[in-house]
Amino acid sequence: MTPKPLRMRPPETAMTESPGALNEPVAAPDALTDKIVIKDLHFYYKKYEALKNINLKLADKRVTAFIGPSGCGKSTLLRCLNRMYDLYPEQRATGEITVDGRNILDPKVDLNLLRAKIGMVFQKPTPFPMSIFDNVAFGIRLYESLPQSELMDRVQSALERAALWGEAKDKLKQSGLGLSGGQQQRLCIARAIAVRPEILLLDEPCSALDPISTQKIEELISELKTEYCIIMVTHSMQQAARSSDYTAFMYLGELVEYSDTETMFTTPANKRTEDYITGRFG
Amino acid sequence: MSSDHIIKSYDDELTKLQNTLITMGGLAESQLASAIQAVVKRDSDLAAIVVAGDARADQLEREVEALVVRLLALRQPMARDLREIISALKIGTDLERICDYAANVAKRSIVLNQTALVKPALALPHMGKLAQLLIKNVLDAYVQRDGDKAMQVWLGDEALDELYTSLFRELLTYMMEDPRSITAGTHLLFMAKNIERIGDHATNIAETIYFLLHGKPIQEIRPKSDRSSSSVVLSGPHGIVTDKSEPKP
Repeated sequence: MTPKPLRMRPPETAMTESPGALNEPVAAPDALTDKIVIKDLHFYYKKYEALKNINLKLADKRVTAFIGPSGCGKSTLLRCLNRMYDLYPEQRATGEITVDGRNILDPKVDLNLLRAKIGMVFQKPTPFPMSIFDNVAFGIRLYESLPQSELMDRVQSALERAALWGEAKDKLKQSGLGLSGGQQQRLCIARAIAVRPEILLLDEPCSALDPISTQKIEELISELKTEYCIIMVTHSMQQAARSSDYTAFMYLGELVEYSDTETMFTTPANKRTEDYITGRFG
Repeated sequence: MSSDHIIKSYDDELTKLQNTLITMGGLAESQLASAIQAVVKRDSDLAAIVVAGDARADQLEREVEALVVRLLALRQPMARDLREIISALKIGTDLERICDYAANVAKRSIVLNQTALVKPALALPHMGKLAQLLIKNVLDAYVQRDGDKAMQVWLGDEALDELYTSLFRELLTYMMEDPRSITAGTHLLFMAKNIERIGDHATNIAETIYFLLHGKPIQEIRPKSDRSSSSVVLSGPHGIVTDKSEPKP
């Protein structure tokens, strides 16, 4: 196979060149903007360098998937995007991550405001031990003081967008813990989007779910991407192929290949990427 | 294959698919060789064996299809594996058609043996040999994963087209000169067309190999020299005239 140059191009270029782009609603290439720009990012757990010089642009209103074997740094990279690592004293990042032009690695950035802007959903559903309503209202109450009726509207809207309203509307006062795994995960997505973030980080959102729930979440992701910049870490190559517009393959803390998803899963440029996605790795 | 899958049975299934195709390729080669031999030797018994042998090609094609369906359903192949499997399905279809054409040549040779020998029949083995060479080379290209060799086959079909056009004109002329040769001549026309089509399927396989190796189709336009569709042979006051003008665009 003819080696292709490693593609680090911005998604705008990818849109115009990719035949896969034709499957999407027709949009002028300049309608795509880079929501997040990562420059020369290094990340350390104590002295261990877990991310090595990552340079990446993530498109707004698109889904980008991070794939790679365990320990490759994909979850670490995701955790950098909302500075989750700040919770741990011996972890640090160098370089630059700009969101809408502002460097979020700057210590002066207000973490609460940052995390209101960047929602996150984890591998295991993490509903709070409170009612379904309160789970969703929790974040809203943190940032805004709304009259009850308006709060109700916001909760309903978030549950609707998370495709949970139909199943939950009659039991809003019941505990979120009583829902099934798939419902709990959609509840967590509802909680994340209730505060109207701009970016949604999904860390293996379906790995603990059954296939039907997984499909519901994937459908939800495809609906939500019209409004958000969605970044997803997944161990399922099929899920990355089905759900994402762009895919980044990481290995040993490095970004090996970044391309539109169709190219990535049909004609990847890098042999290591191909070996990984075809199950030849290791 | 560049390296092994973590799941060994996946490799086993891919290998089985490739081996089935190689078996089919060998069958296509031998069917065509025997069909040509049957024409040269006017051997109807050998021709009958070729006709009967076509069932084996159909059976192998069904095996390829079943393996492909199984691999797609159970392995969810990606990238090169996916191309490998899709290519096998396409190559299987081409090889089956090649065997069909070889069987048809053999079938018509049985009829031909019941008529007097016509001179243009002597040119048919030459076409057959060239088609055999194309099949052999394209199968080698598949086994050796040799894109250059596949391209040579892709370009080499033009020579077969030229032989076909020339034989087509010769047969028309021959039949006009001696209407008693029309039965044999008509069968020979179909036989020559069959062999010409075998060349086209060899180029299809070459294109598939190129796609398998490079992940994109050949961009060039293939040179073609089959001008039989625009050939005219006229009977006039000065005898029989073959119009060798180029086809109108």
